[in-house]
Amino acid sequence: MIFTILRKDLRLYFSDKKGILVTFLLPIIMITLFAFAFGGVGKKKSPPKPLKVLVVDKDATTASQELIAKLNSIKTIQLITSEEEKAVDLVRKGKNIAALIFEKGFSDAVAADTDLPIELKYDAARDFQMRIIHSVLKEGFKYHLGKVDVINNIKLKTTSLIKESSTKAHPGLVQAVGGTAIMMLLFSIAAIGGGLLDEKEAGTLKRLLIAPVKPLYILLAKMGTAMVVSILQLSAMFVFAWLAFGLPIFMDVFSLILLILCISFAVSSFGVFLVSTVKTRQQLQGMSTIIIILMSAIGGSMIPINMMPAFMQKIAIISVNYWGIEGFFDIFWRQLPLIAMLPKMGILLAIGLGMTLVSTVLFKKNIIAIE
Amino acid sequence: MIQVQNLSKSFQNIQAVNDISFTIKKGEIFGLLGPNGAGKSTTLNMMSTILKSDAGTIHIDGKNSRENSKECKHLIGVVPQEISLYEDLSAYQNLLFWGDLYGIPSKILKERIHTTLELIGLLDRKKDLIKTYSGGMKRRINIAAALLHHPKILFMDEPTVGIDPQSRNHIFEVIETLNKQGMTIVYTTHYMEEVERLCDRIAIIDSGKIIAQGTQSQLKELVQTKESIQFEFNFLSESNVDQLRELLPYTVAQNENKLLVETTVQELSKVITTCNELQLSIKDIQLNKVNLEAIFLNLTGKQLRD
Repeated sequence: MIFTILRKDLRLYFSDKKGILVTFLLPIIMITLFAFAFGGVGKKKSPPKPLKVLVVDKDATTASQELIAKLNSIKTIQLITSEEEKAVDLVRKGKNIAALIFEKGFSDAVAADTDLPIELKYDAARDFQMRIIHSVLKEGFKYHLGKVDVINNIKLKTTSLIKESSTKAHPGLVQAVGGTAIMMLLFSIAAIGGGLLDEKEAGTLKRLLIAPVKPLYILLAKMGTAMVVSILQLSAMFVFAWLAFGLPIFMDVFSLILLILCISFAVSSFGVFLVSTVKTRQQLQGMSTIIIILMSAIGGSMIPINMMPAFMQKIAIISVNYWGIEGFFDIFWRQLPLIAMLPKMGILLAIGLGMTLVSTVLFKKNIIAIE
Repeated sequence: MIQVQNLSKSFQNIQAVNDISFTIKKGEIFGLLGPNGAGKSTTLNMMSTILKSDAGTIHIDGKNSRENSKECKHLIGVVPQEISLYEDLSAYQNLLFWGDLYGIPSKILKERIHTTLELIGLLDRKKDLIKTYSGGMKRRINIAAALLHHPKILFMDEPTVGIDPQSRNHIFEVIETLNKQGMTIVYTTHYMEEVERLCDRIAIIDSGKIIAQGTQSQLKELVQTKESIQFEFNFLSESNVDQLRELLPYTVAQNENKLLVETTVQELSKVITTCNELQLSIKDIQLNKVNLEAIFLNLTGKQLRD
């Protein structure tokens, strides 16, 4: 008897293709993503890509140039020559991890065997990579200058370009709140969008179509609902983070509101887009789980984006999560002016607009088609 | 009021509606009778302007429904087959929402909700959530939601499916009241009793085609079958049969103690008197009326509920 019931349950289970995808394919994809992110893949065949470090040679002597060339031969890092102002700006905006500055007098210091005027300016939000760079450079100096740390007291001065302070959030907190809030928002919004399918099954959608209402308005109204809920949910998450963890949400409240609006628009359009691609609730459930988890994984909600390999960081830009999280870093960590954040907000709006346009076409084809 | 001409619609390889034409007069109740899958709902969906036809035209109050869909939507009210209401809203909130979609001013809408709830007998339950209603009550609110904008024509797609006889009667009364007020009603069903009770004219539809249309008496004339009465006697001898055949020339068949007489119910007393004169003891009488079920069977060789 037990075997009969078991056999029936297995038959039903394996007849659900979406269920099988969630059970087998999704974990496989997640394992692959995490393996790449944590660097456990392809070690024997190809070494990991070097971490890019900007280098500014203000000394411009043979000694400094020779050392830069030698340091560049280390496989773990790749030095890119830059000007100081530009390098500092790129690090401050989170586009590079660190800038190594050779101050004037470097060659004299080497000759005189005094403290070396070298400074490593970095983005503390990328602490994990910064530690690797710092360690590698220090070892490089010791090796190539032929000196031993303990005797010659070689110091590599490190300076965080963005100082932590009581008015600023810790990057870990920004990552945790921003990443999680956007991922959970995607799930909520997919559920709201699914309301359209409920209406289709219940027959209320048909009644809406019978009324003198344009089909597009039905879609836009649903998107509007999703957007209101998104704004409320994101706001509630940040207020909670302020109350519970001291996240300074009033630091740049105008930019924060604008960013929440942009994220809400992008996420809401993503919700209606998801719904428009399917015909039943069951299809939506399977598809939204897979897409949201994948998007959150590659977009930086699960693993900080800077811990991922370069190719994954390139893929990340297709996700709403990436632009949202980067936006939160700009506000809470990098403290960029609004004008510097506008491109990211613009991309979120463009993602939203694009998905809304596609949704309107698919909505007519998949949702409102009466049979 | 409505002219449907050469209407066709197919879904992939299935011809759901195949070149049908009919006219509905102002103020009549027009029945669209057919089994499940006959094409009734597809026809109604096209008439409701939410489904485009492959061929043919529909004119509602003189307006082409495809070219003037917005105006037509104001002329018609539609009661869908599904209970198209929000279960977690009250009856009043549902009606307020559906009425609002037609742009009815708030004050007028509230008055109309009151009178409509009164008409369907649910005014005292207006604040209750739909999910607390019985199936019959939900069906009544489903009708009410289609009446708020005062349509000239009401399309009702199997509005009594799955409800108890009492609620069904209540709905019939509402339909009759609306019709008396001048509303044209198009009623689809596969229950021939409903059509017989409500409809002035009927179109019988099967496999996407209209196989007959007209008033009930016109439809009855289409078939050869006549009304008959079957008598069962306690005992019936051969001589009794001969005597009866002499006195009642429309006696057509005899089987053991049963006798089939082709006559109308009006002639029943005359037949009984004859039987009494012959001292025949009647055990049972069965009336075989020529109804729409019989007409459908005669025309298609199928039962309506097949």
